[in-house]
Amino acid sequence: MKFFQLLAKIDRKIIFLILAVVIIVPLIKPFGLISRASSRAEAVFNAVDAIPPGKPLMISIDFDPGSMPELYPMLTSILRHAMAKNIKVIVLGLWLTGMGLGEQALATVSQEYNKEYGKDYVFLGWRSGVLPVILGMGEDIKKTFPTDYYGNPLDSLPMMNDIKNYRDIPFFITLSAGDPGMATWIAYAQARYGLKMGAGTTAVSAADAYPYLQTGQLTGLLGGMKGASEYEFLIKEKGYSKAQTPASQAMDSQSLAHLLILILIVLGNIGYFFIRKGTAKKEEK
Amino acid sequence: MNLATNIWTWIGAFLTFFIFSFLYRDNPFYKFAEHLFVGVSVGYSISISYHNVLYPDLIVPLFKHGQLLNIVPLVFGLCYFARFVPKGAWLVRLPMGLVLGFGAGAAIPATLQASIIKQLQGAVLTPSIFSRWDFFLWALISLVGVICTIIYFFFSKERVKSTKFAAEIGIIFLMVGFGASFGYTVMARISLLIGRFQFLLRDWLGIIK
Repeated sequence: MKFFQLLAKIDRKIIFLILAVVIIVPLIKPFGLISRASSRAEAVFNAVDAIPPGKPLMISIDFDPGSMPELYPMLTSILRHAMAKNIKVIVLGLWLTGMGLGEQALATVSQEYNKEYGKDYVFLGWRSGVLPVILGMGEDIKKTFPTDYYGNPLDSLPMMNDIKNYRDIPFFITLSAGDPGMATWIAYAQARYGLKMGAGTTAVSAADAYPYLQTGQLTGLLGGMKGASEYEFLIKEKGYSKAQTPASQAMDSQSLAHLLILILIVLGNIGYFFIRKGTAKKEEK
Repeated sequence: MNLATNIWTWIGAFLTFFIFSFLYRDNPFYKFAEHLFVGVSVGYSISISYHNVLYPDLIVPLFKHGQLLNIVPLVFGLCYFARFVPKGAWLVRLPMGLVLGFGAGAAIPATLQASIIKQLQGAVLTPSIFSRWDFFLWALISLVGVICTIIYFFFSKERVKSTKFAAEIGIIFLMVGFGASFGYTVMARISLLIGRFQFLLRDWLGIIK
């Protein structure tokens, strides 16, 4: 009883400190826990892999730096996969504050694979109004985005010559941290135009994605940092990339932190049970 | 250890510590970082909006190419600012009405199709489900979950014995759903913390690769 009362009085700052240690130690000295890809991640990987070389993959950056640790590794891994397979890439975004991340990821990965802007990849950037953008691209991408992120007319970019609308996009991936994001693309692009799509979401939104996965509206799903590590694992296993894998490196810390939280939840509940029982006994007396 | 030489990495590291200091208690360093974040986000948004929307979609067509039709969206957009003038505040209803009308018109059929009809199809037992016993089992559990949860949210009639039982089963499904969401939320928050530590240990201190 006294033990649990003592536990209940622990300053939360001590718990923060323990959590920090539990996260930092495996980052410095990794345990090398094995990470395997789930069938959901494999489905996204296989859909990208099945795009014929020369055809485009479209990626929407629907996140900002607040979700960078979860979604940015997904973006770089997918870009590496596509560029290694000579798949053309079109990147755009519904979140204005995510545009810097898109630019950074494209610059880094295109350099690794010697890809040329306008010929191998295009950055459309952001336009205001979510629905007009998604619906407009279903009719004509060039009318919705007359110019790219840098102000170049789309007609002047050779890669865009054969691309008119969603019918010319074999696969689309939204990297979504909320709204507008996955649900918006499903409602307006998938349901209306039949766009084949997958999603990479923050772990918070991953539970919401499963109903769409079950109905086939989503081809595959990458959920949170674990999803990113699964994609990193797949592209490394198939030899598409030798780059650093930040999400996979974080999996030891993630697992250990989860274990700590589980222990705290169990201890907290047992302690609460005994403290409440003790209080009830005192009241009876 | 390989300390960063980039000044922006140092600024990022210090701002991270300023935000972390809130874990101890609210303080001026945290307030400074918080306000700086809001200010930078708004400034960045205005700049991107100007260069990606206002300039190419309004200023160039209207003032450089003389496409006078663009005056219509310009006037509609300016009506938003009528809110600051009490006598003309009603003008804000024009763009608001347009946005709401378009939004509702586009959203209702799309949401019905994507979130209700498709989800109903997913919940119904179809012949393909009988191809494997595990497919059938999961589909059956989903169907029971959908029906019982809907019964739980049916408040128009007092529950009798059978509907009460179904509603209680519905609560179990809801709790499992909440548990899954909470688990994923913990995972998300831990991921963000790991991201910050990776930045501090790799980009700033150069301890890890």
